[in-house]
Amino acid sequence: MLIILKPGQGLLYMKVGTHAQESLEDIIVRKTREIELAGFALWGYGGSTCHPQTMVQPFARSFEQRGQTIYLCMQPMESSHFAEPIRAEEYSVDGLAWQPIPQAINVLGSRYALAIRGLRKEEFDLPLAKTKVALGNSMGSNGDRYIAGRVDKACLEITEEIDTPVVPEPKVHISLVAEIVKPYAVHVRNSPK
Amino acid sequence: MAGDQKDIDLRTAINAISDVVQNRPRPLRLFDQIYMKAGDMVLQSELVARWADGKKLAFIGDGDAISVCVAYLHAREILEYGPSEIVVFDFDERICGAVSRFADKERLTGLRAELYNCLDAFPGPLDFDCFYTNPPWGASNDGESVKVFAQRGMEATSYRGEGMVVIADDVDLEWPKRVLANVQQFIIGAGFFVQRMMPQLHRYHLDDAPNLRSCNLIVKALPDNEAPGPSTAISDAARLAHFYGRDNPPKVRYIRERKRLDYGKAHDDEYSLELLE
Ligand SMILES: C[S@@+](CC[C@H](N)C(=O)[O-])C[C@H]1O[C@@H](n2cnc3c(N)ncnc32)[C@H](O)[C@@H]1O
Repeated sequence: MLIILKPGQGLLYMKVGTHAQESLEDIIVRKTREIELAGFALWGYGGSTCHPQTMVQPFARSFEQRGQTIYLCMQPMESSHFAEPIRAEEYSVDGLAWQPIPQAINVLGSRYALAIRGLRKEEFDLPLAKTKVALGNSMGSNGDRYIAGRVDKACLEITEEIDTPVVPEPKVHISLVAEIVKPYAVHVRNSPK
Repeated sequence: MAGDQKDIDLRTAINAISDVVQNRPRPLRLFDQIYMKAGDMVLQSELVARWADGKKLAFIGDGDAISVCVAYLHAREILEYGPSEIVVFDFDERICGAVSRFADKERLTGLRAELYNCLDAFPGPLDFDCFYTNPPWGASNDGESVKVFAQRGMEATSYRGEGMVVIADDVDLEWPKRVLANVQQFIIGAGFFVQRMMPQLHRYHLDDAPNLRSCNLIVKALPDNEAPGPSTAISDAARLAHFYGRDNPPKVRYIRERKRLDYGKAHDDEYSLELLE
């Protein structure tokens, strides 16, 4: 199914680092197996622009209340900075109560993770100038200007019709998408503190 | 206020601020601990020291450690002026501990910290001349969180003093304008007026809004102003629903400090040693 981006739609945009050795297809196969076994997969991420509790959870909840599916739209980029290959063993929705990560699910070297389903390859251009930051301290900022800085992920809302542009516009190329599912985003850790 | 800004020895001042920065616990984003950048701390501390010269000053929350900078710059005679007494009220025991340890080590006798959650009634004393607060900025609550901190500050002065409220101020974004308007209305409703507003001054270690700055909103009680009543706890769910961001009401009374022996040093679970052959 092709995802449809209409004004008012929420999406989480993220640049993702990929290994030269592992193709997108391989990643999809690996993660899809987790989804089949556990019902969802955890997609690790770091940084502090998309904190699970202050950003992703309230964002996803409010758009889901409007009957929307929240899409994770990823722009893969080859990277040589990798997460340490330490498997996280526990996850927590609120940072207080922790539970074991199901054996089937692997999430490596991250602090946070998104709960996802329906990971697939899908190619399209996303004109960031037609989005705005949906919440947090930069709420209302134009997506293009926001991402232009040092920021590599954001909870965005589409503001204008994304049709074929008359004039060229700044855009990013998305090639990997997934649906964000409950509990949307969690903290992860490798050992009990 | 002490007279105009005097020339200060910048190198010595920055090095002093660096001592303080080194002493700050790591910020917890979930509670809106977002630290001010060092250059802005130098200028802000000088301003606060001049503004509150000879006065008794309460900080309602102070992860930035402006309180410590102000006391330290004065005690080291890098500044010739400063408050006579400073009390920091914060719900994070790590922050209170860092203030107390620094005050103790540097013999800053006029500086102390007290563990306090601003949802609880203000414990007093109520004879502060002025208050300073850099509260959660309230992007998702139209400034309710700012009002709570400002209210505690006004209470600390028995609604008779002056205050400096440090909150977001941005040319493009809409929410800071709404917050600024709501906070000013609230302050006026409490018998204060806005004496001075210094726009877009400070920057922070804030990944999701690296260019967002804050202003100083300087407020003062009207002559003969009186407290509307005794300080009481705040439990109104509507007021607190988005306190730390959308759908994030306060759930924690205090952040407790895990005591350790190596404050400010790398923790030994961060590294291991590989020996020379
Ligand atoms: C909310 S932060 C605002 C950002 C500011 N630049 C900072 O990091 O200090 C200010 C201080 O308020 C404290 N604080 C947060 N919630 C509080 C509460 N409910 N009661 C008392 N202090 C609180 C934090 O621990 C922090 O030191």
